[in-house]
Amino acid sequence: MLAADRVGRWLDGSGPEIGVVVSTRVRLARNLDDVPFGIKARPADQARVVGAVRWVLQEAGYLDSGGFVDDEQLTEERGGFLLERHLVSPDFVKSGLKRGLYVSRDETLSLMVNEEDHIRLQALDSGLNMPAAYEAAAKLDERLEDDLGYAYLPEYGYLTACPTNLGTGMRASVLVHLPGLVLTREIEKVLRGAVSVGLVVRGLYGEGSETRGNFFQVSNQRTLGLSETEILETVTNTTRQIVEHEHKAREYLVEHLRVEVEDKVFRSLALLRSARILSSGEAINLLANVRLGVALGVINELKTEVVNRLLVLVRPENLQAMLGERLKPEERDERRAALVRDTLVQP
Amino acid sequence: MARKCDICGERDATLRVRQVDKAGAADIEICAECAKVRGFTEARKISTSVAEIMAGMKRDVAEGDEAIVCPGCGMTFAEFKRKGRLGCARCYPAFDDKLRPLIRRIQGAVQHVGRAAKAGRRRARDQMALVRLRAELEAAIAAEDYEQAARLRDELGKAEKNARR
Repeated sequence: MLAADRVGRWLDGSGPEIGVVVSTRVRLARNLDDVPFGIKARPADQARVVGAVRWVLQEAGYLDSGGFVDDEQLTEERGGFLLERHLVSPDFVKSGLKRGLYVSRDETLSLMVNEEDHIRLQALDSGLNMPAAYEAAAKLDERLEDDLGYAYLPEYGYLTACPTNLGTGMRASVLVHLPGLVLTREIEKVLRGAVSVGLVVRGLYGEGSETRGNFFQVSNQRTLGLSETEILETVTNTTRQIVEHEHKAREYLVEHLRVEVEDKVFRSLALLRSARILSSGEAINLLANVRLGVALGVINELKTEVVNRLLVLVRPENLQAMLGERLKPEERDERRAALVRDTLVQP
Repeated sequence: MARKCDICGERDATLRVRQVDKAGAADIEICAECAKVRGFTEARKISTSVAEIMAGMKRDVAEGDEAIVCPGCGMTFAEFKRKGRLGCARCYPAFDDKLRPLIRRIQGAVQHVGRAAKAGRRRARDQMALVRLRAELEAAIAAEDYEQAARLRDELGKAEKNARR
């Protein structure tokens, strides 16, 4: 349903603070009132939820601008492909339930049926743009609520399988690129500041994932006892502070270590343009350095969008989907190097 | 340009880690490679408190927890503690006595202040309409506008019936 050679609109390199903030995400967790949650749902219950959600999406016209796939189509390979594109969570890939998935054609909206909650919907946007992401998520959520009775109690809000998501059921997050703070070794201090105002910092793919290429996910921890607006504002304001710290760190680097920074950036670009064997980890780290070079204006010939696109396409499942064949890891490393060389070919 | 890793002494240090042993605590600075080998990542190092609470719950299943059963899905409170996930919407009221302190620890609050569910919003709107109509009726009676009062009384009767529905 998705074109393997294109990436989501939320990676188009537009929007506020794009030099530091790759993207914004708002996720809502919801459950139907009269159906047991994930671990207690029988296969018939699970299928009922998939059917009900699909029906509403159809009625509301969401299927005109996107696609819905059911469990049989969600193979392990497909799951990996979608995970690499940030459209599903690791838990969804191995949920073991009868699942369903909606993804809008531009990949800015997706909805997982039967992750640990019946419904996990998310809206993505480029750069720092909480209001736009929240609006898109809330619009779909309200439409679903018109037809599906959500599990809700006035005192606890929207009920979720895990009490950590209770209340608003909302996780607002940003994906930030912080090479300046890592290089100046200020990163821990700054991230500790985010934690002190109740935010969580995670790696590229969420919970428990490693931080690669100096990309970090920052999101709210608490979901109960705060309004949606308060959560969005806290994440936005803290992100602005992180962005400011990152800019200061980059200014320091350019002022005091210009040659070293340029060397790192241009070496990375040269390697990407010349390597014959490239692992996905190495590619991501080198591309992250190039992204910094573009943001600093050190590299003028490339756009953020091109780097963002490669950051997705170099990952194993996306690479194979784009090439349309299954490859052994060694073959992948060669083909990946070729793809990167071809994309970054000197003008 | 950067300090070298305290473990391998070769690569640049990118992470500061607090090491705690019998001798006390000491901060060391290490590189990403050594961090990976030793099992440190920024993601794991920062903010594990909620994960710790959930893990602690798993270790702390009490005898009485088996006896608390959700009438909706049959889950026991012991099962919730072991799995960390509730079985259905009915589990919340069924486990409330035991669950509430846990929610308070995880969330720092036990009262939802975010958007109300649509059914809840409708109820709230109906209640607001009643309050407004009662105030207008009292004002009409006080002003001895009996025609207006009769009209409002009819309207109020209808609204009360709606709100009960």
